[in-house]
Amino acid sequence: MLVIVTENVPPRLRGRLAVWLLEIRAGVYIGTPSKRLREFIWNQVLEGVEDGNAVIAWNTNTESGYDFATVGKNRRVPVDFDGLRLVSFLPPDEQSKGP
Amino acid sequence: MLPPLKPIAMKERISLIFIEYGEIDVLDGAFVVIDKNGVRTHIPIGSIACIMLEPGTRVSHRAAALAARVGTLLVWVGEAGVRLYASGQPGGARSDRLLYQAKLALDDQARLKVVRKMYELRFGEKPPERRSVEQLRGIEGARVKKTYDNLAKQYGVSWKGRRYDPTDWDTSDVPNTCLSAATACLYGITEAAILAAGYAPAVGFIHTGKPLSFVYDIADIVKFETVAPVAFKIAAKAPQQPERVVRLACRDVFRESKLLGKIIPLIEEVLTAGGLEPPYPPKESVPPAIKETEGLGNVGHRH
Repeated sequence: MLVIVTENVPPRLRGRLAVWLLEIRAGVYIGTPSKRLREFIWNQVLEGVEDGNAVIAWNTNTESGYDFATVGKNRRVPVDFDGLRLVSFLPPDEQSKGP
Repeated sequence: MLPPLKPIAMKERISLIFIEYGEIDVLDGAFVVIDKNGVRTHIPIGSIACIMLEPGTRVSHRAAALAARVGTLLVWVGEAGVRLYASGQPGGARSDRLLYQAKLALDDQARLKVVRKMYELRFGEKPPERRSVEQLRGIEGARVKKTYDNLAKQYGVSWKGRRYDPTDWDTSDVPNTCLSAATACLYGITEAAILAAGYAPAVGFIHTGKPLSFVYDIADIVKFETVAPVAFKIAAKAPQQPERVVRLACRDVFRESKLLGKIIPLIEEVLTAGGLEPPYPPKESVPPAIKETEGLGNVGHRH
């Protein structure tokens, strides 16, 4: 299972994602691609994200059972808790300092 | 309205998380850590077996209440997981389980059977016949010493025995520090499992007289197949922050060995070896007036 959520991305990227995935809500895509196809799709997002941001999550063999990756600026940033990945929510003025 | 919060089963949880700095509070019903810059990090508390709170954390009343409601054990630890206090789901939620455990511990024959089962599971073979608990403990001590020596040799670690001073952490050598950090992780999830299964951590069979005697009994069964090799492997690499690396590796080994799924059945298996029937409620006792609802959690969880 794979979920991609996009925010503020160009319409051409959204159309592109809809080629392989199902858009169940505005900017929210789901599907069950293979690892290779997932990486291929995520590459399209990296190429086409421009000023927007996106996140991808998929199930894998980690302790939590999933992993995720992000691109672009967002108040929610991934953090590492001894190898377990959680998300920190930055206060509004901290946004510019985010990675 | 949202339905009330309930604990989920131990086997469906992530083993443990260490929290180092920050104010721990509840925001919009979620368990969050807020650092000095105002960055907040959500901790999925209901999906974790045990939270280790390190020096530098402050926990609010509501946060502790939320942890208890979802059946997650909070352990306050010092450096490298030296335990200070624990709370969350206090034991004693199931008197039938506690009485069963006590019945086994108080009956000499049953206790010996449980102890023998513990050694059998631990060393993979039945201990010699007709030995007392004291004699078995002696045999165990020698075997454990040899196991440590073998592990040290296997990973190329210089080993001068299991030596540590809980009051003065820095005097330990690297292998002992790694081993202490690794066992602290194991004890945390073992205590969470014992409480979730409805038993008392203090009523031990091999170990006795300590608040966590039964935790040590159960943890020892799996120690040498899970965390001990991990500790030696990391000690051999002598990393910058051995404790951090050990925790990470412990979580990996807990996941790979599916320990959280196996540990409650293991507890039941050990106690069943005692050969006693669980006690029936006496005739004159009164059952609960309001029936307990079924939950997703384990029997020791308060739903």
